[in-house]
Amino acid sequence: MTEQTIKAIIERGPNPMGARTQFDVPAYDNQTVLDVVSWVQQNVDPTLSYRFACRVGMCGSCAMMVNGVPRWTCRTHISKVLVGNEVTIAPLRNLPVVKDLVVDMDAFFDKWIAAEGLHHGALTREDPIAKVDPTSSARVASDAGVECINCAVCYAACDTVSTNQEYLGPAALQRAWTLLNDTKDNGREKILDAVTGAGGCQNCHSMGSCTAYCPNELDPMSAIAGLKRESAKSFFRKGR
Amino acid sequence: MRVSEIERHDTDILILGTGGAGLFAALHAKQTAPEATKITIAVKGLIGKCGCTRMVQGGYNVALGGGDTVERHFMDTINGGKWLPNQDMAWRLCEQAVVRIRELENEVGCFFDRNADGSLHQKAFAGQTADRTVHKGDLTGIEIINRLMEKVLASGVEKLQEHRAVGLIPTKDGAALAGVLMIDMRTGAFRFVRAKTVLMATGGGPTMYKYHTPSGDKTMDGLAMALRAGLKLRDMEMVQFHPTGLLAGDHTRMTGTVLEEGLRGAGGQLVNHAGQRFMFDYDANGERATRDIVSRGIYAEMRKNNNPDQEGVFISMSHLGPENVRQKFKGMVKRCADSGFDLAAGKVEVVPTAHYFMGGVVVDVDTRTAMEGLYVAGEDAGGAHGSNRLGGNGVANSTVYGGIAGDTMGVDVKKHVYFRDPDNDVLAAELERAVYPLGQKPDLIMPLRRKLQDCMWDNVGVMRTEAGMKQGLGGIAEVSTELMTIGVDGSNLAFNLTWHDWLNLRSLCDISEVITKAGLARQNSRGAHYREDFPEPGAMEDSEFTVAQMQNGNVAVMREPVEFTIVKPGETVLPADAPETLVATQ
Repeated sequence: MTEQTIKAIIERGPNPMGARTQFDVPAYDNQTVLDVVSWVQQNVDPTLSYRFACRVGMCGSCAMMVNGVPRWTCRTHISKVLVGNEVTIAPLRNLPVVKDLVVDMDAFFDKWIAAEGLHHGALTREDPIAKVDPTSSARVASDAGVECINCAVCYAACDTVSTNQEYLGPAALQRAWTLLNDTKDNGREKILDAVTGAGGCQNCHSMGSCTAYCPNELDPMSAIAGLKRESAKSFFRKGR
Repeated sequence: MRVSEIERHDTDILILGTGGAGLFAALHAKQTAPEATKITIAVKGLIGKCGCTRMVQGGYNVALGGGDTVERHFMDTINGGKWLPNQDMAWRLCEQAVVRIRELENEVGCFFDRNADGSLHQKAFAGQTADRTVHKGDLTGIEIINRLMEKVLASGVEKLQEHRAVGLIPTKDGAALAGVLMIDMRTGAFRFVRAKTVLMATGGGPTMYKYHTPSGDKTMDGLAMALRAGLKLRDMEMVQFHPTGLLAGDHTRMTGTVLEEGLRGAGGQLVNHAGQRFMFDYDANGERATRDIVSRGIYAEMRKNNNPDQEGVFISMSHLGPENVRQKFKGMVKRCADSGFDLAAGKVEVVPTAHYFMGGVVVDVDTRTAMEGLYVAGEDAGGAHGSNRLGGNGVANSTVYGGIAGDTMGVDVKKHVYFRDPDNDVLAAELERAVYPLGQKPDLIMPLRRKLQDCMWDNVGVMRTEAGMKQGLGGIAEVSTELMTIGVDGSNLAFNLTWHDWLNLRSLCDISEVITKAGLARQNSRGAHYREDFPEPGAMEDSEFTVAQMQNGNVAVMREPVEFTIVKPGETVLPADAPETLVATQ
């Protein structure tokens, strides 16, 4: 592929939003979308802003819209996304743009916490560690979503998020479901309250973009379906 | 830009960094400090997302019974560090890891892998005499950092995200720390944050080498700031290389990233350019030898071949059955596949890659430094690992000492009613230093960073000699001087990565010089530091560690004797009848 070039069209904001600039980037055998963006900043446009950290799909800092689809740029080989020799790269959808390809992820994390996405424990560092059967059905259900790296790809993919700013979104709700199944967690009431409020799980229309685009092959849509079932059960039981 | 234009901000406890050390410090400070205490956490990237704890694959070393003891963990740490560790720090690390792992499971909410009977699963890494490493598959760091991050985000601490620390600003008399000068990277504005206590937990990250594993934000800024502030840095020659970093060309950020240790443990073979296995030429344990030995073996093969078109060696797994490999190393196989390599059925080219920095600021067992108000924990602190860190001791170290720092600051903050006033001359000098490139003619920075990385790899890398390191010093000085002639377009300072590339390279040049001078000062071979001209380790009972410090504008390196406060070379704290190892032979 050497001596060929990639036509990289970069949409940047916020002033003006979506301004498109085209760059000719040399093509290499081993090259990711992040490498293309980096090449532009390091060689022709030193003002280009983007965010990355780990380079290997562990930190979830570098997600962007690639040809209109949310992806980890560090783990997307350029050959997978080239249309002819062209690729379009834009900031992640559904979050405010700080500059160019960088978005402000605070809303995403605020919702994670608003969904009670944190451990509610009764034990302390003085207590022994609980014995948990790794094959129990609760643990298996909890394990299903625990490897989420909070990259916000699902949040960007979700049409409900884009039309309803209150909606907690797939990642936060999946975290809530993971905790609900965690036998070590004592936050059941709090979690159910949090996920049945105005921005809660019932907003989900099961369109499934979250599950389709998750780079970790997790299934937030099913997790949200689980939350819907649990909150309905809890509603009838408690008559609330 | 004038000092008067710097925005001012005050907080009681300031924490720099959000790896295992910074996040634990925030939680512990919140628990220990008086209720009204203001706690601020500042980080160069996003909270919990940048930094290296998150990238921990293997796990967390902790002695939890089954025959294993704190004493045994301690002896492994001392032996692994080749008798250079500060023994009180190593002891506290092993002792407190037991508490911290329970805290992680019970209070923070981590879930680590279990045995069939429901108890924690533990495995053994190279250099350990017990199955001691607690883990979550091979993504332990993600579980630890995600859970800590949630707790910290919900705790109400003030967040300064994408804030880069550029200078530690002492008081006029230099005895105490007044605060930290930072750049708000999102706007490009300067902010001086006064604080009664400051934890520096920015992490090491030896990215001045051509091949390196740490995440892109790591550039030794913390140690560079500490050096300028006149603090003593110990063991600065000790750079740990991981033997198997991915080699994919210098145009991709994938190069240098780790192919996990477990591949060799499971029977992975290393073959050279001629297709021959070679590790048994260097060590009876072959590919299963410790990191330092395998790194040197690979480096020696690379040097023999000396072919720029085919630089590395190959790791081959296919003899174990591609399907089996795919199943056992799912994450690794997928990562390689995403990047265009077939780990399960093909061969993947690898090189040793700079991984971890054992050196750091001289601290006491409570993370206090020589400067009142400044605390250091995690990879920025030296002493716990000596000349070599055992796999699994890194995350134990950052979480144990991060928590200790939080507790210590929570107590110490009560003693300080008033904020300290900064030395305005230092503040002005640090500001001047950070804006310097904005006044020079803009040019490309990356070619210069590559030059430094080549220089360090060739001259101050896996195998070192006096002549090589002296040449290295010349090369570093050249890059350093050239950097001062290269400018950055400062018309928009908001999220100006190129400005930060410049500042990153500045930090890397400064610390590269210290590594090289410390390497020259150590005329023997210990742990990660290997001198071809002095291959012997020297007498353990005469062990010395290096201490580097700025003196009259120059980096001076001194040597201090190791104090064997708990155990002397040749002795052990284990009972006389204790078996050498509890690990079942494979």
